[in-house]
Amino acid sequence: MGGRLNLPQWLGRLLGEGRRQAPPSAITANNEACRKLDQNRALEDCVFTVLDTELTGLSPGRDEIVSIGAVRIRNMQILQAERFHSLVKPDMPMPKLSTLIHRITPERIIQAPPLSEVLPGFLSFIEGTLLVGHFVDLDMAFLASACRRLYGDTPANPCLDTMRLAKSWQHRLQGDYYDRYDQSLSFNLSSLARRFGLPIFPSHDALHDAMQTAYLFLYLVKKLRSTGIKTLRELHRPMRTQTFGF
Amino acid sequence: MAEQHAPIDRDLIREFLQATLPFSELDAGALDRLVRHCLIDFQPAGTRIFIRNVTEIDGLLVIQKGGVKLFVQDEAGQITLADFRGEGACVGAMALFQNAKASLSAETVEDTFFVKIPKDAFFEAAGANPAIPRFFLKTLSETFTTKAFTEIRQRRNESSDDSNLYLFSLKVGSLVERAPVTVPFGMSIQDAAQVMIRHSVGSLLIQEQTGKPCGIITDIDIRKSVALGLSMLAPVETIMSAPLETIAETAVCFDALVSMMAKNIHHLAMTSGEEITGVITSHDIMLLQGRSPLAVFREVSTRNTYEGLYPMRAKTCRVARTLVEEGGRAGNITRILSIINDLMLNRLLELLLKELGPPPVKFCWLVMGSEGRREQTFATDQDNALVYADCSVDYLQRAAEVYFEAFTQRAVEHLVRCGFPRCPGDMMASNPKWRKPLSAWKDTFDHWIAAPEPKEVLHSTIFFDFRGGPGDSSLAEELRSHITGRCAANDIFLRHMAVDCVQARPPLSFFNNIVVEKNGEHKNTLDIKTRGLLPFMDFARIMALRHGIRQTSTLERLDQLKAGGHIPNDLAQEAMAAFEFLQQIRLVHQMDMLDRNLEPNNHIDPAQLSALEKRTMRDAFGAVTKLQSHLKEAFRLQMA
Repeated sequence: MGGRLNLPQWLGRLLGEGRRQAPPSAITANNEACRKLDQNRALEDCVFTVLDTELTGLSPGRDEIVSIGAVRIRNMQILQAERFHSLVKPDMPMPKLSTLIHRITPERIIQAPPLSEVLPGFLSFIEGTLLVGHFVDLDMAFLASACRRLYGDTPANPCLDTMRLAKSWQHRLQGDYYDRYDQSLSFNLSSLARRFGLPIFPSHDALHDAMQTAYLFLYLVKKLRSTGIKTLRELHRPMRTQTFGF
Repeated sequence: MAEQHAPIDRDLIREFLQATLPFSELDAGALDRLVRHCLIDFQPAGTRIFIRNVTEIDGLLVIQKGGVKLFVQDEAGQITLADFRGEGACVGAMALFQNAKASLSAETVEDTFFVKIPKDAFFEAAGANPAIPRFFLKTLSETFTTKAFTEIRQRRNESSDDSNLYLFSLKVGSLVERAPVTVPFGMSIQDAAQVMIRHSVGSLLIQEQTGKPCGIITDIDIRKSVALGLSMLAPVETIMSAPLETIAETAVCFDALVSMMAKNIHHLAMTSGEEITGVITSHDIMLLQGRSPLAVFREVSTRNTYEGLYPMRAKTCRVARTLVEEGGRAGNITRILSIINDLMLNRLLELLLKELGPPPVKFCWLVMGSEGRREQTFATDQDNALVYADCSVDYLQRAAEVYFEAFTQRAVEHLVRCGFPRCPGDMMASNPKWRKPLSAWKDTFDHWIAAPEPKEVLHSTIFFDFRGGPGDSSLAEELRSHITGRCAANDIFLRHMAVDCVQARPPLSFFNNIVVEKNGEHKNTLDIKTRGLLPFMDFARIMALRHGIRQTSTLERLDQLKAGGHIPNDLAQEAMAAFEFLQQIRLVHQMDMLDRNLEPNNHIDPAQLSALEKRTMRDAFGAVTKLQSHLKEAFRLQMA
């Protein structure tokens, strides 16, 4: 969990601040709430948080979060009012390549708070909700690593991956044709949005991507529901049906 | 949750609502409040979202993507379609305002994303801005129609940036066509005036002995010399203006205009290097600016050759363009186009009569179809016929046949060169079928009216819009009176026309909230003529014939029908507004196509229209339904 520390942080650790503190109530409360989640509930009764992060690179060990966006789904509807969006100042200097992707410039990021200040707010935003993301494992790896470093614990929220849902929906659409593992089909967020005819959001902004993912999630869940999926547990199942090749 | 340090610059839901009527009417604060309360919902295709009189409506659904059909289902399960709604349209407004259950059943016909505005938030916005309830409660509201007209005009102005900037882009050199007329020092004023008349110019350059022009005289100088009692034999240099004001031929017209205004003169000598190559007058620039109908009208009436008339059609189109840009209503624009076209036809036939000599008997050129209705647009072909007086003797009849054959063939050919293509159905005077004596015409119409076959009804409709062109108009008048009498007395014929008018149009799908063609070359476009304008024309024609109204233009017919109390006031008003709006959309569309060097057609792409235009267009189509049901009632057509 290296991450280079700047001098004040390093001194702080030496003096037993920050890390030595008990995990803040945010993550504790979150994880407690998550333990109470009932897998057999109807999807309408579940509260989902759809999230997306922008990163300096793809390695959870070396790279950092520069932006978090999240939107809420209740009663299987996206709520305009409940959103989370923040830039995050990374410890490392911004790699040029990542700036080219998400267009967050070093000048903008310098004003932003560090992750240690953003996380408590984010944790209370996701408290006790199911997390949804596109290739959510990557986002979770970064969040888990940050939480472990800061609080010594990781968020216990169950996660749903829209990419895997999309693959299983695509599979249903195509049936058992030989091109079932057609590698030319792209499963990145914007390709899927176009393929399924969703309203298009500009990509590589954490909030817009979260919004786009939320649209995709609504689409997939309601499409899959026509095949009889009504609860969370049933939703997990189609994701397991097809693991070969991924 | 607070959006701390939120780098948010765009909220797409906000942008969507801002581009959607009526929420585009909200101020920024109200819109923000509204957006915060919105939910986004998705329903796959085929989901029944409302059940009539059962579903409680807790919010307004604005279609972000997809489409919904509204319908009524009776006990037997029979479904009657009420409406299609597409992107940017709302579902559930009626029920909300009436505080009742769903007024219609609704089902998604595509995978559909909705922006849902909860009831309370909707009423808060509606309470704060009266435009919102007005939008939902009024059909074809006058305010929105006017705004839609303005919007068409603005779109038009954005796309044609060249039209108003010619002053800044057009070079002086391109305006002047002829070399200057020069006379030497010492010529008498009288001789100079004669030179001006001979060359029909308004100005002369005066040459020094060296050959270099040093001054100019104009009409005004001659007038002054007469007023001052100068001798006509005095040398011309006594009244010339010197030194000569010049402008380079590469200068733009704007510079020339500024120079003239600054010096309060109307002529400038145009130079290319050291040499004087022409004279530009303020009139030249004004003519350029004034693509005014009057200027073209005058120009047409002074043309003395066929070749001189050929290019006038293009100028007429430019006039129409200017009128559209200046905000002219379609009804007026097509009327002006018709007046100029009539004049052109007049000149052409006059020249032809001169060429062929006088006809053996009196005749009248008949214009039909859009020309007969004075509703010509940019895409128009020839629909004409010819009627001549009944011949008392056999040899006169033969002479007439020979003469009018030559006459009409030439006329049609000249019209083609003027830019009016041949009628694909060969409904032209050059076709012997449509060139006959008055009594034969009466028989033809009688036959159509008395024994109507469906095919004949369709073929003959444009004939019923005829009006007299050049020639002896009393022939056309007599034919019109004859038909007016016959039609009013014969309901069966009109009934056939009415059946045709109310019959469903070919299979269509809907896109962007407007019904469009499903397949083929014009997929996802709307044929604004057959789908939109034709039903209005048919309706006006049928009702006008029924009530003995002689007018041929759709708007005039509707106006007369209203004045005579034959159709309800509000139906007439709505039909006239809708017809003119559709005609306007069509004109602008064709103008755009001309700008892009395409053959103008009637296929509108709804994606190119603004929310307001789409909405107004829908309302205009709504008027069609009302006209059709009026016809059904008037003719007691028992149809499903």
